Amino acid sequence: MSGFVELRQVKKLYQMGEVTIPAVDGVDFEIQRGEFVVIVGPSGAGKTTVLNILGGMDTCTEGTVLVDGEDISSYKNRRLTAYRRDEIGFVFQFYNLVQNLTALENVELALQISKDPLDAAQVLGEVGLSERMDNFPAQLSGGEQQRVAIARALAKNPKLLLCDEPTGALDYNTGKAILKLLQDTCREKGMTVIVITHNSAIAPMADRVIRIKNGRVSEMLLNEHPIPVEQIEW
Amino acid sequence: MKKRALHKDFYREVKKTRNRFLSILVIVALGVAFFSGVRVSNPDMVLSADKFYDENRLMDIRVLGTLGVTDEDVQVISQVEGVETVEPGYSVDMLGDVGEHQLALQVMSMPWELNQITLKEGRFPQKEGECLADSRLLEIGLLQVGDTITLKSDSEEETKDLIRETEYVVVGAGVSPLYLSLDRGTTKVGSGSLDGFLLLPAKSFAMDCYTQICVAAQGARELESYTEAYDNLVDELVERIEALEEEQCQLRYAQIQQEGAEKIAEGEEEIAEGEEKLADARKELADGEKKLADAEEELADARKELADGEATLTEKEKELSDARAELDDGWRQLTEAKEKLVEGTRKIEGAYKDYEAGAARLREGRTQWEAGQAEYEKNETQLSKLKQQKEQLEGILQAQQLSDEELAALGLPRLTQEEQAAYEEQLISLIAGITQLEAALPEAKKQLEAAKAELLAGEQQLAEGKALLDQYNAQIEQGGSEAIYAERDLEEAEKEWAEGNEKILDAREELADGKRRLAEAEEELLRAREELSEGQQEYQEAADENEPKIADAKEKIADAKKELSELEQPEWYVLDRQYLQTYVEYGQDAERIGAIGEWFPAIFFLVAALVCLTTMTRMVEEERTQIGTLKALGYSNHSIAAKYILYALLSSVVGSVVGVLVGERILPLVIINAYRILYTNLPQVLTPLDVNYSMTSSLLAILCTTVAALAACYKELFSVPAALMRPVAPKAGKRVFLERLPFLWRRLNFSYKATVRNLMRYKKRFFMTIFGIGGCMALLLVGFGIKDSILYIGTVQFGEICTYDISFGVEEDAKREEQEGLFARISGDGRMLSAMWVREASLDVEAGGVIKSGYLVVPEQPGELKDYIHLRNRSRQEAFPLTDKGVIITEKLAKLLDVKSGDRIWLKEDETRQVEVEVSGIAENYFLHYVYMSPRVYEELYGEAPVYNAIYGNTVSQDEKLEEELRRDYTKREAISNVTFVSTMAQRVTDMLKSMDTIIYVLVIAAGLLAFVVLYNLNNINVSERKRELATLKVLGFFDGEVSAYVNRENVLLTLFGAAAGVILGRFLHRFIIVTAEIDMLMFGREIAGMSYVYSVLLTFLFSFIVNAVMHFKLKKIDMVESMKSVE
Repeated sequence: MSGFVELRQVKKLYQMGEVTIPAVDGVDFEIQRGEFVVIVGPSGAGKTTVLNILGGMDTCTEGTVLVDGEDISSYKNRRLTAYRRDEIGFVFQFYNLVQNLTALENVELALQISKDPLDAAQVLGEVGLSERMDNFPAQLSGGEQQRVAIARALAKNPKLLLCDEPTGALDYNTGKAILKLLQDTCREKGMTVIVITHNSAIAPMADRVIRIKNGRVSEMLLNEHPIPVEQIEW
Repeated sequence: MKKRALHKDFYREVKKTRNRFLSILVIVALGVAFFSGVRVSNPDMVLSADKFYDENRLMDIRVLGTLGVTDEDVQVISQVEGVETVEPGYSVDMLGDVGEHQLALQVMSMPWELNQITLKEGRFPQKEGECLADSRLLEIGLLQVGDTITLKSDSEEETKDLIRETEYVVVGAGVSPLYLSLDRGTTKVGSGSLDGFLLLPAKSFAMDCYTQICVAAQGARELESYTEAYDNLVDELVERIEALEEEQCQLRYAQIQQEGAEKIAEGEEEIAEGEEKLADARKELADGEKKLADAEEELADARKELADGEATLTEKEKELSDARAELDDGWRQLTEAKEKLVEGTRKIEGAYKDYEAGAARLREGRTQWEAGQAEYEKNETQLSKLKQQKEQLEGILQAQQLSDEELAALGLPRLTQEEQAAYEEQLISLIAGITQLEAALPEAKKQLEAAKAELLAGEQQLAEGKALLDQYNAQIEQGGSEAIYAERDLEEAEKEWAEGNEKILDAREELADGKRRLAEAEEELLRAREELSEGQQEYQEAADENEPKIADAKEKIADAKKELSELEQPEWYVLDRQYLQTYVEYGQDAERIGAIGEWFPAIFFLVAALVCLTTMTRMVEEERTQIGTLKALGYSNHSIAAKYILYALLSSVVGSVVGVLVGERILPLVIINAYRILYTNLPQVLTPLDVNYSMTSSLLAILCTTVAALAACYKELFSVPAALMRPVAPKAGKRVFLERLPFLWRRLNFSYKATVRNLMRYKKRFFMTIFGIGGCMALLLVGFGIKDSILYIGTVQFGEICTYDISFGVEEDAKREEQEGLFARISGDGRMLSAMWVREASLDVEAGGVIKSGYLVVPEQPGELKDYIHLRNRSRQEAFPLTDKGVIITEKLAKLLDVKSGDRIWLKEDETRQVEVEVSGIAENYFLHYVYMSPRVYEELYGEAPVYNAIYGNTVSQDEKLEEELRRDYTKREAISNVTFVSTMAQRVTDMLKSMDTIIYVLVIAAGLLAFVVLYNLNNINVSERKRELATLKVLGFFDGEVSAYVNRENVLLTLFGAAAGVILGRFLHRFIIVTAEIDMLMFGREIAGMSYVYSVLLTFLFSFIVNAVMHFKLKKIDMVESMKSVE
């Protein structure tokens, strides 16, 4: 049985003069639909590169990436863009909201290009921002901004929600709240969520934990009983 | 040593950001080029002219005297301190005839040192009778080298007073520094405007004193014309020369008085001479009369002699005719005698014939007789024979009776009986014959004897007749010879007569000859008499005439004496170059360019400064962290700021150098060359690098950029390193004004909302972009607008205002009938639609001390003027008629004189003929100045009806061939002085202004560069500032096109706003430039054509589109990984 997401011997090599530096050196893993996945590893382990490849922002040098049966590693630029816009939701560490647009408009920005979008206001309501829809990012707290970012990603109704250190710029409590939002989304909507973090402490909340070290998967374990985020302390 | 790392960093920075570096460089170069280039055009123009003036040694001062100037004046002026060169000369306005053309010419003496001529063609005149012409005359085709020009003044006498000879051969053509432009000023001769100058050797002038003294001031050549220093120097010299005026004029006055007195004395002498001559003539006449009387006497003698001769001749003639009668008688007698002789001869001949016939008959008678005789004799013989035979027979017969012997003895035969019977019978017949013969013979003998007697008698008678006849014949022969003698005599007499006759004829002829001679002599005498009487009459007339003349002369002398005593003190006019029309106009034009240079390049400079400021600010912002790091490492503010200042310095210095070189070399050349259409004589354009402008513009540009760089890092340098390390909070989003208008805001789609917010977010950039694009649009609009304005002259002036097609100049002094005939011919020409008489004259118009030259136009039928010239108000496009109230003047003239409807102006044809009149209307007009007046007004003003001197006409078509035909047909016609076509004028104006195109190209290129640099630079900043945002969009799945559209939408909107701003700015700038740049005699159109807006907008968008296209590729290169980075 193959997974919803499957990476086989994925390599990303950078040619620096005569030396070839591998950022990712043969990663193999699979993820099932609806799982909450946490990819952990130290800085420079290659987790962001994996995320980039998975998110269609970068291409791998070798190997196969299958998402819902499609081999995206063979995609060229334009199909990759289409893949990003239709199938991926992305949550950045620094939220990357357009400062010039209100919360609602930031969500709409994503919606206007997607095929089957959800209602922006509703999604914002779901992330708990129905009161702050008309505020500009500068008027929102970091957590609120990250909620807007999540709403923006969710509203596109993607197959895969990719989060790059979603709590990296947030304080402890807010970070927890955001993780909870992500976990709830996964549970309630059956959304496949992949979170990248260097913080191993949050691994217990995941259905599947993938540890990456030196460009390889050092360990992958399935968690039969994930702990709700509220119970995790770090 | 210690800052090597920083140096390295600097060079790498420059290399890495070469686009930014270049954009600063280019915008600085543009700004500097335009600023210094346009500004330096004014000094370059002045310099170019000054060089021409200096090289040709244009005089600084001209001294004119109301009574001329003398050698003494020259002497005195040359002594004045500060005078370098003094050159006296002649200058007088005259008319010159060349072929069919009549030219109004300023006739001057050849210069020696000052106002030197630059020879363009041919050579300088070397002797009298040669001249050098204004090369303008050759250019217009009025004259050619080798032509002969006949000069004349108002009267022959005046001409003689001015110049020695009237005919001059053009040996060369040249250019004078007195004239830079095509305009040669006005004059009192001819049509009122000078066509050109003509230079004669000084000795060709007959004036007794110079008309002017040209002066070159010491040290003036070193100074630049049009400058204050020059003006001051010359002004001082003018004052010093003016100080001499009184004394010199006094001297001149005295001299004239003396000369006058001398002349009066001369005149008086002349009168005395005249009187003496009259007396001489009288004496001569008396002598003549006496001689005539003598001749008459002689003639009478001759006549008498002739009569005598005639009488003698008549006598002789009578004698001759008697002789003739005698002679004729002799001839008659002779003829008669001859006739008789002829008859006698004939008779004799008849008698001879009778005689011959008689003789013949006699001879015949004799022959018959002889025949009878012979027969008789024969008969006698026969008889005897017969008798013999009888005897014989008888003997035989008888013998028969005898025996046979006997018979045989006798020899006789024996006859037979029968023979005997035959014999016997024969005998019987014989006897019968004999008997018959014997009977006939005596008769015959008797007859014969009678015939013989008769014959003899006849012969005797015949002989007698013959003798008689011979006698007669002798007589006749004698008569014949007598007649011959008589004839000979007669012929001799005849000859003698003929001789006589001839002599008489000769004599007769001689007589006739004598008579003729007499007649001739008589005639001659008559003539002599006539001549004498004529002489007498002449004398009388001369006396009649001369006596009053002499009286007149006497009176004149008296007058002259009086005049001399009343003579006013002469005056001097000491004029500097400010009195040279083209000198002043050129200076004004240069100033105008200066005025444009004052404002126009400022746009560039402002934009350049703003662009530099933004660029540098962005650069510093981008390197915030690095600055913080360096500060943290302990580098001084000084060395950190040095990088940015150096960056700005390097790019602006290089940009300035490029800008100065390009701007000061090329722009003035382009601009001045455009002006050279007017100032054709300007030989060369000098475009040296101007230290002043180069330095100011460069320093300004460098300062702007560097200060911008300094200002940009100022804030950062005074922050603590920690603050610098922290990311700067992103600029907060804000609601924009438009959102308060929900009805509008809601209509915008999402992308536009974002765009509008973005635009408002970066206000500085927003306004700068609009300013840049607006500047580009404005430049384009100005460029196209200038062309439109110029084209206006062609299209509106000659297409809508002056709608007549042809103008015939008619000689004013032509006979009335000739003029009328001409008009009838023209208006009756099938190629003409209509024609109208017009008076055209050049005049000066004055109001409030300002004088401008223009043309007076008086149509014979003011009501019909609209078929030829449309008088209308420009802004309202309202036509108005030419009424009998006041005059209508053209717009530019009104503007220059600062008058409006209802104001009063002075019209001056010359100093003595000036009238004041009210302006009743101001008409749209773009070329030259006109004053329109109805004939009624003219009459009121000048007290006489206008003399029409031109015919305006409309032709059936503006076909070139037709025009050429008309020109050919009419140019040579009597009374026509010229034929002009409006289309030719229109063509000339268009050609003249064609090179303005260059300016338009310069503007378009500049505009393009400006647009490109500004848009590219600002876009670059925009993109680099929003890299993160754009990368996020990409991550969100925006296609490249959509990302570009997201950014470009802003650009398009900015371009739109910029274009709108540019329209306003452009209109303002266009108006400003048109008004400052236009020369006096032209008015450019004030409006920009619709299509020009279209072109400008299209070009602006094209530039914007090109920048957007370039940006598209730049956007494509943005890495999505940017979105992952933390905020710097």
